Amino acid sequence: MTKKALSKTQIDRLGDRLKIGSHTESDLRLLDDYRRSFGEAYEAVLRTIRERGEFPTGRLAKSTLSIVEKLRRESIRLSQMQDIAGCRVVVADVAKQDQFVASLTTDFTGASVMDRRDKPSYGYRAVHVIAEISGKPIEIQVRTKLQHMWAELSEKSSDVLDPTIKYGGGSDVWRKFLTSSSEAVAAYETFEGRYAEAVAAHEEFEKATLELLAFHPPEQEVQETRARLGNSARRIAELQRKQARLWRVNADLLTQAITRLDKAKEPKR
Amino acid sequence: MIFLIEYNRSEGRVLTFRNFDESQRQDAEDLRLNIELALNRKGVDHEVVLLEAESEDALRRTHQRYFADLTQLLKSAGGQQG
Repeated sequence: MTKKALSKTQIDRLGDRLKIGSHTESDLRLLDDYRRSFGEAYEAVLRTIRERGEFPTGRLAKSTLSIVEKLRRESIRLSQMQDIAGCRVVVADVAKQDQFVASLTTDFTGASVMDRRDKPSYGYRAVHVIAEISGKPIEIQVRTKLQHMWAELSEKSSDVLDPTIKYGGGSDVWRKFLTSSSEAVAAYETFEGRYAEAVAAHEEFEKATLELLAFHPPEQEVQETRARLGNSARRIAELQRKQARLWRVNADLLTQAITRLDKAKEPKR
Repeated sequence: MIFLIEYNRSEGRVLTFRNFDESQRQDAEDLRLNIELALNRKGVDHEVVLLEAESEDALRRTHQRYFADLTQLLKSAGGQQG
């Protein structure tokens, strides 16, 4: 049997009760009905993403705990919350992320895009796309594997160290670690794009050189072209070393964080 | 596959983990609600979520936070260079 849809006023009053912690058992049931009302829209979004060949992890229901925290943290009404249901897609790199986000905006007309890569939210970098199906917003989180790695660290730190870490709180040391790590990942990903472009250009040059040699050009031209190709290859190797150095910055931060955690676990004398 | 997870945030560990076929969506939703109601009666704040993924491995990749401790996550991050 289909339940009668809740009105916006009913939803927001429910949100108010959840926010101040005065909710009853029937409020939790009401919230559950509201959550389930996103089911069809959620399924439509996941189906479309799967048709694109991606493998999303869907979240059918945001936990009550997360809903209550969000209501308390932000000046948002329950009816305005856009992530009651949603999914997450982790892609290889920024180029793939851009490509996938573009495909989502084609698939879901009028979808809004929140790009948190250049202006991170407390270090969190990702692209969120909000698709709206029959008036129900469904949040699609699109992260690169490195952005995802950082987000998992931030979330777990909030769970076990201090719940405010995710939103800029926590100890100075840990906040600094997360900020520096987020910046290091951003620097690495920016460079990764430039490196990929340089490699593509080098490969193109290499191909053109081989084609040229097939025509047996004068020896001097062969020598000059080979020298230019050699320079290009050296530049790629140099960029590769720089990329490794950029990653090393983040790897060192991660190692320091592990050491710090291990020390914190040591029994105090 | 649908996965039901009850997670104790401050301890950073999963207390209930159940999987369901897609055809059992309603059962999963009902169980999620029942766990939440039982926790509410006891005054316990746990995260109770329903997630859907191709497999448990896929779930563990996109939601490592539920399954790994902080040190494991840091080590795994260190080995991630693209």
